[in-house]
Amino acid sequence: MTNNKPAVDNRRLGLRGWVYAGKYTFERYLYLGHRLSGLGLIAYMVLHILETANRMRGEQAWAELMAVFASPPFKVIEYLLFAAAVFHAMNGIRLMLVELGFFLGKPQEPVYPYKSSVLKHRPLTYLVMILAGLLMALGGSSLFFP
Amino acid sequence: MRETRLWSLHILVIPIILVLLGAHFALMHYAPIFYALSVEKAREFSTMIARGKNIGQFVVYILLLAAGLYHGLYGTRGILRELPWSPALAKLIDLGILIFGIAIFALGVYVTWWTFNFELGG
Amino acid sequence: MLVAKTITFRIRRFDPETDSAPHWDSYAVNVFEGMTVLEALHQIKAEQEPSLAWRSSCRMGVCGSCGMFVNQFPQLACQTQVLHLEADIVSVEPLPNYPNVKDLVPDLQPLVEKHAEVKPYIIHPDLKEMREPSGEFLQTPAEREAFSQFTYCIKCGVCLAACPTAATDPAFLGPQALTQAYRYSADNRDSGVHSRRDSVGAFHGAYQCHMAGACSHACPKGVDPALAIQLLKRALVLDNFGFGKKESQSAKVAPLADVVKELEEFAPPPRTAE
Ligand code: SF4
Ligand code: FES
Repeated sequence: MTNNKPAVDNRRLGLRGWVYAGKYTFERYLYLGHRLSGLGLIAYMVLHILETANRMRGEQAWAELMAVFASPPFKVIEYLLFAAAVFHAMNGIRLMLVELGFFLGKPQEPVYPYKSSVLKHRPLTYLVMILAGLLMALGGSSLFFP
Repeated sequence: MRETRLWSLHILVIPIILVLLGAHFALMHYAPIFYALSVEKAREFSTMIARGKNIGQFVVYILLLAAGLYHGLYGTRGILRELPWSPALAKLIDLGILIFGIAIFALGVYVTWWTFNFELGG
Repeated sequence: MLVAKTITFRIRRFDPETDSAPHWDSYAVNVFEGMTVLEALHQIKAEQEPSLAWRSSCRMGVCGSCGMFVNQFPQLACQTQVLHLEADIVSVEPLPNYPNVKDLVPDLQPLVEKHAEVKPYIIHPDLKEMREPSGEFLQTPAEREAFSQFTYCIKCGVCLAACPTAATDPAFLGPQALTQAYRYSADNRDSGVHSRRDSVGAFHGAYQCHMAGACSHACPKGVDPALAIQLLKRALVLDNFGFGKKESQSAKVAPLADVVKELEEFAPPPRTAE
């Protein structure tokens, strides 16, 4: 015994546990994506409220601001926001249904080979992801190639 | 119990946001597709004011503001509060987010109200 | 025994009495087909490192002692065959998200405390009936099936090691306790989620589950904690809006005399002495 105070080995993963989804199913990446897109969207919503409040400074100030937003870099940012909103909305529809207990199947005896609720609602997961992909492609094409 | 109500509301506003934000997107960002209106035209000062003077638009925007801010800020609070704060700091986060939410909502309502009452050509 | 392969075990070592920080040691083990990680640990302890510490008992996936982080995945050492990992190097760590006692021994105290917090026992709506039952508490197979899956939990703690919320929030009740809260609430002899809402319906309860699904993927007993937690949320919401209250179960309890009569009707006639 070299020291009186025993060392502690804290194994709590911390933020790494949110980000690193490792060998778990890809729903854990959806969890991460949902979190990040959600934070991005609320931050944007607040900025958006502040930015559109600019109208109170008159027509001139408004027109100047809109001219800035019409520039290419803002088009890309706008698209990213649109994509985040689409992802968050589609994944959110899944979560809303699933977190209220729908599409998960009934509890059943775990006799091999059993399927967990994560696998049981996979069709829904695929469906919303395909929808998200389609909407993103649609939005992108109309935004960049009007 | 209180958390159950807060969470239920967080879920309940989802359909509202889906419909209203969908409409907002269509109006502002996809105006060419839905209204045969160029994005530039849709974002012009006079167009915006004209839109804002519509009572339906006014109500819808207040509703979207409330629903969107509540859903987003409740989610943010959840994420923040999953970090290991002391009870006092946790309370402070709750309070801070509440005050911030009310302030930004008030600003949004004020701007919407201002637009609603704006006289064009004045 | 047929030797199939030599595998290097990288084991995370930590002794709070002598070490200031954890370190990794490597051991080569001749692994035969069917050998489990637990058997490999026994072999290392017998032949190479007598001071290696871990916790295990039943070596058949029943006691829930041997949960470990093997190759970055939380699982039972006794149910994991080394060759099934398909790796030449196998890393073994104690379960994450728990304080560590020594080497591969996590301190499961938080799990036990959270388990106790959700009142994991039947709370009959009629206290008198529960203390002095006037008959048997009947249960149909369908009523049993509503929670049966969740009774297989062995409290191994693997699910909390997989859970992203548990990674940062020490107060989160976690998949294990929340699942048991639902297991009892869904029991027809119980008064339902109402009596547990103070713990599971609070901030660090059911709503901090975001359906990342890792617990259900990792659970070695097929308990599917994620399913239980979502059903728990639904029950909590229904209860909050006044739809969840269970009618008193005592009405459904058959008087003892009736049960005896029923049994007598089924039973073969008593044998008479010659
Ligand atoms: S739910 Fe599964 S993983 Fe969690 S403690 Fe119980 S048996 Fe272990
Ligand atoms: S030793 Fe009992 S579960 Fe592994």
